[in-house]
Amino acid sequence: MRQVRRQRLGRSVRRVGTVLGMLAMLLTFVEVAYSADPTVSDPRTMTFKPVEFSPPEPERVVLDNGMVVYLLEDHELPLVTITTTMRTGSWLDPTDKIGLAGITGAVMRTGGGGGLSAEQVDAELEQFAADVSIGIGRQSGSASLDVLSKDVNRGLEIFAGLIRTPAFEPARVELAKLQAIEGIRRRQDSPGSIVGREFAKMLYGAAHPSARESSLDSVNRITRDDLVTFHRNTIHPNGMILGVTGDFKRDEMIASLRTVFGDWEKGTVPELKISDVSEAEMSRPVVRFVGKDTSQTHLRVGHLSIKENDPDYVALAIANDILGGSSFRSRLFNDVRSKRGLAYSVGSRLHTGMHDQGIWLMRAETKLISTQEVIERFVANIERMRAEPVTDAELAEAKEAYVNSFVFSFSSPSAIVSRLVELEYDGLPKDFLQQLRAKVVKLTKEEVLAAAKKHLHPDRLKIVAVGSGEALPKALATFGDVKEIKLSPEG
Amino acid sequence: MKHASRLRPRLSKDLVCRRGSLLIVCLIFGLNPSLLYAATPSLAERVIEHRLANGLTVLMVERHQTPVVSINITFAVGGINEQVGQTGLAHLYEHMAFKGTRLVGTTNYEKEKPILDELALVGTELDQRQRDLADKGGGATAEEQALVESLQNRLLELQTQAAHYVVGNEMALLYQRHGGVGLNASTGKDVTRYMISLPSNRLPLWAAIESDRMANPVLREFYKERGVVMEERRLRNDDSPNGLLFETFTSAAFRAHSYGVPTIGWGSDILSLTPADTEAFFKAHYGPDQATIALVGDINPKETIALIEQTFGKIPAAPPPPPLVTVEPEQRGERRVEVEFDAEPAIAIGYHKPTLRHPDDDVFDVIDAVLSDGLTSRLHQTLVREKRLAASVGSDASHPGVRAPNLFIFTATPLAPHTTAEVEAAVYEEIERLKREPVSSKELEKVLNNLDADLVRGLRSNSGLASQLALYQAVAGDWRYILKSRDKVAAVTAADVQRVAKQYFTKSNRTVAVLVKKGANNTVAVMPVGEVRP
Repeated sequence: MRQVRRQRLGRSVRRVGTVLGMLAMLLTFVEVAYSADPTVSDPRTMTFKPVEFSPPEPERVVLDNGMVVYLLEDHELPLVTITTTMRTGSWLDPTDKIGLAGITGAVMRTGGGGGLSAEQVDAELEQFAADVSIGIGRQSGSASLDVLSKDVNRGLEIFAGLIRTPAFEPARVELAKLQAIEGIRRRQDSPGSIVGREFAKMLYGAAHPSARESSLDSVNRITRDDLVTFHRNTIHPNGMILGVTGDFKRDEMIASLRTVFGDWEKGTVPELKISDVSEAEMSRPVVRFVGKDTSQTHLRVGHLSIKENDPDYVALAIANDILGGSSFRSRLFNDVRSKRGLAYSVGSRLHTGMHDQGIWLMRAETKLISTQEVIERFVANIERMRAEPVTDAELAEAKEAYVNSFVFSFSSPSAIVSRLVELEYDGLPKDFLQQLRAKVVKLTKEEVLAAAKKHLHPDRLKIVAVGSGEALPKALATFGDVKEIKLSPEG
Repeated sequence: MKHASRLRPRLSKDLVCRRGSLLIVCLIFGLNPSLLYAATPSLAERVIEHRLANGLTVLMVERHQTPVVSINITFAVGGINEQVGQTGLAHLYEHMAFKGTRLVGTTNYEKEKPILDELALVGTELDQRQRDLADKGGGATAEEQALVESLQNRLLELQTQAAHYVVGNEMALLYQRHGGVGLNASTGKDVTRYMISLPSNRLPLWAAIESDRMANPVLREFYKERGVVMEERRLRNDDSPNGLLFETFTSAAFRAHSYGVPTIGWGSDILSLTPADTEAFFKAHYGPDQATIALVGDINPKETIALIEQTFGKIPAAPPPPPLVTVEPEQRGERRVEVEFDAEPAIAIGYHKPTLRHPDDDVFDVIDAVLSDGLTSRLHQTLVREKRLAASVGSDASHPGVRAPNLFIFTATPLAPHTTAEVEAAVYEEIERLKREPVSSKELEKVLNNLDADLVRGLRSNSGLASQLALYQAVAGDWRYILKSRDKVAAVTAADVQRVAKQYFTKSNRTVAVLVKKGANNTVAVMPVGEVRP
């Protein structure tokens, strides 16, 4: 069914909400209790008891070879899900073979393993309706098995075989390379894809592990031996964190995991270290465009930002939330979309991690003639974030939205477990979210203003626009020295 | 790992669709999601049904693990209900439904109303005068141009006045403040849907907001939102190679039925939609008997019914909407269209077929799974892996909807240097194989196993289950269609597959659309049709 989906991205409002009387810690489960009188039907004045909920606590087990396992039983449905996060990634790609990590992950899934041919693996998994996926991204590898609980043992056996001893069948390696090349050939088809990738390259530099891209040459140079070596050198049990949820019994599951993974020996896990972009490069403003025959200008405006363990993280995240991160509630949504009707999707994002510098950006797509106006609104809105404190109402709303929706971070056993896996992978404490929540509750508008002043820089903006090559240079001219990015036809 | 923000809770996966391609959305519906029965016989017992006197249907499933609830309100109205010249109206109304009511979204409705009324009159006249000017080309008099200018100025004045009373996006703000996540809506050819997930003790807030929105919407900020929708059209259809390919393909396949019109509407129609049209559309199609509310999560059904009776129960029953009369005439010959775009080639192929309740519809679901579900499916195996003609290939058994006879479609992207013509010929070979040889019992078993498992998986998320229940209630008139259809799929035989393939997969019943790289030598893409068997 083809549907037109309404996109939500941000906005702000001046109503004062109920005071933050609803800051319950995660305590006990409370029965549904309607504290509001349903005969009073004005939703603007309703108040409710705080949401109290103590999520179940997963168990953490470490196998002798260093493999970490989180387990949480959930017997509602006859399904088991096993995920693993692996300390590998494309930051390890050799510079002349960019794309190696990604292709290795793809062929671990499709190339057979554990003594089975590729065809045997595919046929058997699909006959009992198991879903297996394996992939390697920039800063981690991941694999998952989703299977009916009656088939969990066989599923796990095949899954472990693919991870430990992938066969990398030559025909599947070749197919993966052909598909990677086709992907490169199709990179410039969609303006949204172009602007996202060019913006990342503008921020980090085209050769940086957080932005670099494969090319026809780099993929063509990759051999089956490279895949075998990459797998052998980077994937080790002591670099893996498993998350197991669903309909299983704890003791049996641990025994099964020991059977399939227990005799796999430790190895030297690669260090996840990604170099920072220099201060000079970070602070240099840039205006670039890519000419493409489109009806809209596709815009990204922003700069590099902090890591997630920065002391200002919470204050900056809330500042971003109010500016453009919170969909309907944000200033950018209200200003650019609701009041001016200039864009369907508009907002700002703070993308942060622990291993490389984060990105803060504003984005929109708008018809050519409103391009300049939208960028002016972007700049005006960050100037305002830096010039004056957010209103009491805005801060209260942001806090309430965060605190009251906190329960959704623990809405299912798999959500609970995958959060712990992610935090451990990133070296963060397991109560990191609860710490963030406590900081949000205490946050002041002075702290938000200080974070905006310190971390949002109108004089460092990197602007990348994709659209009409003839008209864009003029529309962008007031924002700096405009230069063109020429795309090669083949990525 | 890098995250959008750890400060934002991430709900279930289906919300990713918000920004996903249109193709992703169609997959939700493409595979027959009907096998809950075998997998979880308890679903039949877990769904609690209630019907209000005004015709509103309520479906509930209790799940108490977490104190949250997901709610899906689905109206049996969509692009299929639009008239010529007003395409895009169903979708524009869905946008306007976020602008508030007489209570929410305004500081003073009494003072706001006369301004909005005049704004609608001025805006409508301005649209008309501008169309007249465009018709005359350069031949408009200075007087006529001056009139347009004065109307433009008056519109701006009125917009400024009206803005004084607007509390922007207040409905969304209320939900967010109370911990709501996944606030969204979607419009399709068949249905329009409004979704939210909330901490479960906030249900009275939801009931107050939504019953008010179902009864008393106010169309504020109309002309700005029309501009937003135009940007959405540019984003999804005009600047997207896939979007434009599908718009062209579908409109070539349907000549009479409104399935041929893109849900977002034609650009010129969108720019002519008026507040009066939009209000009339709401009155005709948003009666409570057109709505299904599905709630899944930590709820008490008795209290929930009482709450819904107290709020939605006050909405008066509405007359039935105008009937759908147009039937697509039989296709009498192949149709081929091209779209030129600055992008690599792609192809879409479609065959007309019947829809829900016709016994052959379930056979198409089986064919769809045999052809394109998984790495061992026939199309992936032959076109991608063995022949290496295609980078990707897929199928869908119910494009673009299910309320009326629809299409079985194939989509593919060739793997360079192979062409769409080669891919097309290879698809036809697979179709011929379906006609020639019976599918194996092992393939049929695999289809059933996967459908059963997918349906169990569908129960994992509150929002996913609410979505399925409300959808089938709206399009099939009964959520139990999910259970019945599973048994019908299980009964499909190899002979059924052969018969249906022969009957429907014919050249004269076929529409083919090809995305051609702009500036490339287009003759390559033209299929030597005479050499390919139907």
